[in-house]
Amino acid sequence: MFHFSRRLALKGVLACALATVFLNTATATAADAVLRVSAIPDEAPTELQRKFAPLGKYLEKELGMKVSFVPASDYAAVVEALASDKLDLVWLGGFTFVQASIRTKGTAIPLVQREEDARFTSKFITADANIRTLADTRGRVFAFGSPSSTSGHLMPRYFLMQDGINADTDFKNVAFSGAHDATLAFVASGKADAGVLNASVWKKLVEQQKVDPKVRVIATTPPYFDYNWTVRGDLDPALIKKIAAAFLKLDAGNPEHAEILALQRATKFIPTKKDNYDGIEQAAKAAGLLK
Amino acid sequence: MRSPRDPAAPVRAAGLLLAIVVLWPLAVIGEFHPWVLFEAQNLKVMGGFLSAFLPPDTSGEFLAHLGRATLETLAIATAGIALAFVIAVPLAMATTRALSISRIGPGAGQRRGEYLRAALRMLLVVLRGLPELVWALLFVRVFGLGPAAGVLALGLTYGGMLAKVYGEILESGDERPARALLEAGGGRVQALCYGLLPGASQELTSYTVYRWECAVRASVVMGFVGAGGLGQLMDQSMRMLNGGEAASILFTFLLLVLAADALSAVLRRQLGDAGGYGGALAFGPRTLVWLALLGSALVASYGWLDLGFSALLTRDAMASMASYFMSFFPLDLSAPWLAKVARGSLETVAISALGTLLAAACGLLLALPACGRYGQAAEQATRFLLNALRSVPELVWATLMALAAGLGPFAGILALALHTSGVLGRLFAEALQNAPSRPRDALLEAGSPAAAAFLYGTLPQVSPQLIAYSLYRWEMNIRMAAILGFVGAGGLGQLLYVELSLFHHAQASTVIAAMLLLSIAVDAASAWLRRRLGSVTA
Repeated sequence: MFHFSRRLALKGVLACALATVFLNTATATAADAVLRVSAIPDEAPTELQRKFAPLGKYLEKELGMKVSFVPASDYAAVVEALASDKLDLVWLGGFTFVQASIRTKGTAIPLVQREEDARFTSKFITADANIRTLADTRGRVFAFGSPSSTSGHLMPRYFLMQDGINADTDFKNVAFSGAHDATLAFVASGKADAGVLNASVWKKLVEQQKVDPKVRVIATTPPYFDYNWTVRGDLDPALIKKIAAAFLKLDAGNPEHAEILALQRATKFIPTKKDNYDGIEQAAKAAGLLK
Repeated sequence: MRSPRDPAAPVRAAGLLLAIVVLWPLAVIGEFHPWVLFEAQNLKVMGGFLSAFLPPDTSGEFLAHLGRATLETLAIATAGIALAFVIAVPLAMATTRALSISRIGPGAGQRRGEYLRAALRMLLVVLRGLPELVWALLFVRVFGLGPAAGVLALGLTYGGMLAKVYGEILESGDERPARALLEAGGGRVQALCYGLLPGASQELTSYTVYRWECAVRASVVMGFVGAGGLGQLMDQSMRMLNGGEAASILFTFLLLVLAADALSAVLRRQLGDAGGYGGALAFGPRTLVWLALLGSALVASYGWLDLGFSALLTRDAMASMASYFMSFFPLDLSAPWLAKVARGSLETVAISALGTLLAAACGLLLALPACGRYGQAAEQATRFLLNALRSVPELVWATLMALAAGLGPFAGILALALHTSGVLGRLFAEALQNAPSRPRDALLEAGSPAAAAFLYGTLPQVSPQLIAYSLYRWEMNIRMAAILGFVGAGGLGQLLYVELSLFHHAQASTVIAAMLLLSIAVDAASAWLRRRLGSVTA
């Protein structure tokens, strides 16, 4: 009796374990009529959700299909997810687009960008009274955003290099804050002596009065191409056309559209093409971030 | 001729000298500069962050986030352990010598069986040699965003760990019944169920429950690389230096860990009581209730997480996984890259060794009041402190210490020291409590001061145990030290994080290989030291 029941118990446990695994596989859903959208997490995830909500509703109406936003916490995960067809439409930075293009063997299609993205810049900031020029940051703790960020890492690193500052050897320590608003927090608190973030987020934080008065800009990069909306290459061409049209139709004169554009910090969207990002690719190669 | 006062003096002096010669370069590499803690700049940063802790964030929206994240953490831990169990059972059965059929007879399969076991054991070393955080980081990239990566990472690392320990438990018991069954022509499953399990089931279950408790802690940490749950929330709040949110999350986390601790203790006590004849598990209504609870917890966990593992089983997913895997080979072994990895490895060793050493010293200091030497009040207070220290994971300490001591390896040393002090302090206190008190009493009665009575009466009896505990923790800490760089606390972690972000897979796999080698080397060094010390004291 004793042995028999224990055997039963063991079998029960095993069956339970197996059943949960298989039940789970059986109930997974197919994601057919849903447009899966994500964005590189260049700002706090709650901020990204807030920014996306009205745009998502607008796209649902324009495309006539369900649009779901998949929150991400890692730049590279977004690139990888697009390359493995787990996402349909993504908001990428210049460098992540180049990475995505390589990882999809050139099939990812950049659709549109904000007018501002054609002449994007980054701001070098500090809260330390002794740092007045970029050269003063040598030997100090410097904060970039995410390692995969164009405006928070790649282009600033590239321009620093042109100024004769090697980010690998000339700083005491390099920190990767992960996002632009986090870089500001690092610098304001003194966790890093200086840092760099993109001009668009900087402008927003200044307007929202979220910048500690000690923090000031010491340099601005020359302009370069940045963010765009990219789709995976094997998406239905008709749908791709509709998505691009929906973005291009956004007009600041229309109050409903104005809200969306304001949240995206765009005056309007314009078409973009792959060649626009060749400069980024060259810079990434020169800075050793692309092999 | 006068005999020296201490006949062991030359040996001790040599030991001390050796320790200094080894530790000094480590201290240099680890940037061990305690004074930076008191620099005005760092005090201001830390003070600014801590002052924002009060009041904790209790807005409805945030609490809703927090509740969801807590449930997700529990579900990841439970689902992860279930997966680990499914992985571990066959591996343990295949690797344990107690169930080897080929080992019995002189048949042709004997050597083959041994090779197979050795190969599988290597697999286990790889599975558990890499920290779950590294697996999680890789899986987040392959399977995308969310808890599936966490569950898989836990499943693999803990699968490796469970398989090893299951195998050892099965071998440590009485092997004769199983052998008799095998010799009589029984199969492995029968030999396991009727020969080994009756003697080992209690220990097996107890260890599994203990691992679940560890998994709760681990699943929190994995959130730091985007695998969902409380850790992800904590990472975001910490990055934004949002003290109020961080305080609420830390508090929730402490409660969760204490609750998991308590539940695990209750379950294990239940098992102790339930030990029927021969220490075997009695099967009664109570067991049924536990099994039902376990089953529903599993179903609830998998249901809640919506893992979508089926998407992994399609041919496309398999192909993309295979190509992702292959992109990590061959390793980048160019000289400049190896130099960089070597530098990171040295830093990692320094962080783990100094952190553990510091923890052993602090742990001993805290163990004295915690074992009740200075009264009830001091005992309760230190025990609470020890619990708090070890409840906060190393990675969270590291984010805090990066504020207090600046970014770099010293923050990592402090983080490991704080967490490990809590762990070692508790173990040390137990060892001190169990030490026979007569030698000390004799010294006290002979009029020696309390400190001397402790040093010569108590410490010599417990020191082998204390050293063994510290060395075990060092083995765990080398794995931890390898990942503290994710939050800027030195070592190999930042290198891995950056290279993976840039899709430099060849470089990343060199770092991963270095991590594996380090953990294997430290395991070996620690085992050797324990053997040496064991033979010295014996």
